[in-house]
Amino acid sequence: MEFVFSQLMGFGSAFVALVADPLTYAYLIVSVFLGITFGALPGLTATLAVTILTGFFGNKIPLDYSLIALLGAYVGAIYGGSYPSILLNIPGTAASAATAMDGHPLAKAGRGGEALGLITTASFIGTLIGTAALLIFVWVLLLVSQNIASPEKALLALFGILLSGTLMSEDLVIKGWISGLIGLAMAMVGLDPLLSEPRYTFGWSYMLSGFQVVPVLMGAFAVPQIMEGLKHAEVGKMVALQGRILPNMKTIRRYMPTITRSGVIGTGVGALPGVGEDVAGWVSYGVSKSVSKEADQFGKGSVDGLLSSETANNACIGGALIPLLVLGIPGSPPAAALMGAFKINNVIPGPTIDPAIILRVVAILVLASLTMFILGLFTARIFVKILRIPKTVFLPVVMVLTTIGSFSVGGGINDLYLMLGVGFVAYFMNLMRYPIAPLVIGVILGSMFDETLRRSLFLSDGSLGVFVSRPGAAVLLMLNITLIAAQIPALRRRLSRNSRKEA
Amino acid sequence: MTSSDDIAVLRARDFWGAIVLGTLSIFFLWRTSFIPLFGENRAGVSGGDWYNSAALVPLGLFSGLLVLSLILLGISIKSGGAKMAFSALGLGWDKAEAIRFTTLGLILFFYIVGLVPRVDFILCSGLLITALIFGYHGGHQNRMMTSCASVVAAGGYAMFAHLPRSEWALLSDDWITLVLWALLTVVAVSASPRERVARITPILALLLPLVLVLAMAFGFRQNVPNRGGLIFKQIEYHYYVTLKPLWSR
Repeated sequence: MEFVFSQLMGFGSAFVALVADPLTYAYLIVSVFLGITFGALPGLTATLAVTILTGFFGNKIPLDYSLIALLGAYVGAIYGGSYPSILLNIPGTAASAATAMDGHPLAKAGRGGEALGLITTASFIGTLIGTAALLIFVWVLLLVSQNIASPEKALLALFGILLSGTLMSEDLVIKGWISGLIGLAMAMVGLDPLLSEPRYTFGWSYMLSGFQVVPVLMGAFAVPQIMEGLKHAEVGKMVALQGRILPNMKTIRRYMPTITRSGVIGTGVGALPGVGEDVAGWVSYGVSKSVSKEADQFGKGSVDGLLSSETANNACIGGALIPLLVLGIPGSPPAAALMGAFKINNVIPGPTIDPAIILRVVAILVLASLTMFILGLFTARIFVKILRIPKTVFLPVVMVLTTIGSFSVGGGINDLYLMLGVGFVAYFMNLMRYPIAPLVIGVILGSMFDETLRRSLFLSDGSLGVFVSRPGAAVLLMLNITLIAAQIPALRRRLSRNSRKEA
Repeated sequence: MTSSDDIAVLRARDFWGAIVLGTLSIFFLWRTSFIPLFGENRAGVSGGDWYNSAALVPLGLFSGLLVLSLILLGISIKSGGAKMAFSALGLGWDKAEAIRFTTLGLILFFYIVGLVPRVDFILCSGLLITALIFGYHGGHQNRMMTSCASVVAAGGYAMFAHLPRSEWALLSDDWITLVLWALLTVVAVSASPRERVARITPILALLLPLVLVLAMAFGFRQNVPNRGGLIFKQIEYHYYVTLKPLWSR
């Protein structure tokens, strides 16, 4: 009880400090507005919103304002993706793909305003559920993580990359793993963290410090989207927005069990390393479909279906920040971009993070979700107008933003060459259906993986037993082995034969 | 990815992807052999043990990538990807997509490598925005090529006339970029004078880079590319010499 009380006190003082600062409001309104705009424009994603704003706000303003800008954009963009899902039947972000299933039929039935009002409220409650989980679990996990040593860290980093590769692959799972290993390999460039031995620098002094995170993020997430999006396409036929947007409280109360369940699912999925809001939306949609009383209406305009995906994808934000803040492992692709912002501010997320930063993150998330709720209800018609802007007009603007953002973080022209190179590689990887998120997570975690693996072996005089003698490490090793073994065809066939026999 | 045709195309692409990945893995495994692994001497100092070597993790990673590339190659060959991999149709590429990708790739390459380091950021970004909107908004191939030619001409001149860093501040490439941007704007507006996008493009192309550069340089106090560029040099001069004294007194 005392623990909860002290947490609430800490959160309260961080919240009051933010509320008392007038600049907080300026950053909140601008960033949430930009976030919703990015989310609402099909072709721009939440990850891109956070990445581009990292270029602008990452290390140019005090960390608190930088976090407000980035978290505001993150919350706004995940919510904003629902606009085109409902009105155009085109998901603005991957996170809102499930929303289109029921949102668009509702809009076609003349209930577009009602659908927008409901998802605005559900997204608000979902974000708060994720934030509450962040406030509670991050401390418990931080206490646990004090006992995590190098072997566990190395295996956890590997698990994060493998899990992200497994769950983010649209095609073959090994493509996700290849993507993660390419990211890890990219992180090997430069002076090694223990002996300062130069690796793969090819005599170029710029490479000695390794690949910078922000140009890699910009290259991986922005350049392929610009290249892919610059195609002639008619703006889809938009369903006219009918009905009032302000939600009916009776309906909200009726669907409260769905919202709560989806919030919990979203937070849980978000807490898995590297798994993002899109997976959260689909998992929650699937669970709701199997337990809902109106399961037959799913895909035809079910409010239950609509709320389950939209609540979960916003709840995922708080969940995704748990592994980021506790272990330094991003829980989703936008969280990977946030990690980049932490890095350029010399803040190292993990067991040694300043607890005050966590409390500020929680307070910012509450304020950002409130701002999103107000903007969503009262300025929705502005965002509906934004949907009409063609991709071929805003993507060139994004390219210029990406260029100056990437340049200004490091201040060097070499960062732009790196961004372009990574961008071309990521474009071809997209073309071959390789997921990009594991690559970025690999780049971010590569240095930690290298250092902790070698440190573990060094402390044990080269004995591999260090990875099984510690209980935490043994469990993580088993998880890694299981994850890999589960994809071996012979084993999969045997498992499915066994389960058929048992059935 | 649902239709069997799409999957067949993917497997054909995987064939080439696996070969490239395997080749790169072998190349980097060879490069890894340059890093001491078994405690070799380095500048007269004995290196550490194998488990502390800087080569350990890269060795594992590139070996893993090599194995995965072989598995991918096997999957591709089993699924008939190797048979389809030698035709453009099998790879799912047509002439229109090839032209779109090539022109776009050239535009981005010459913008980043040729123009941004050497030409005023407002000018080169204005040219880029005009070229991309004019070239790709309607999906016309001749417009893509016109846009590409203008950026390649500006970027190519900047790159080859002022290749060394010591010449990046020279202004002849800025003037050429300005002329090409103006010409492309005229072409774009006259090609479809009634179209809203064509009318908006010159305003967007001028204002956006200008506002961005001003915000970065004087708002966030950050470095911007090519401070000695044709326009930014004037802005910076007048900011410090003409404007700033007004409120610094």
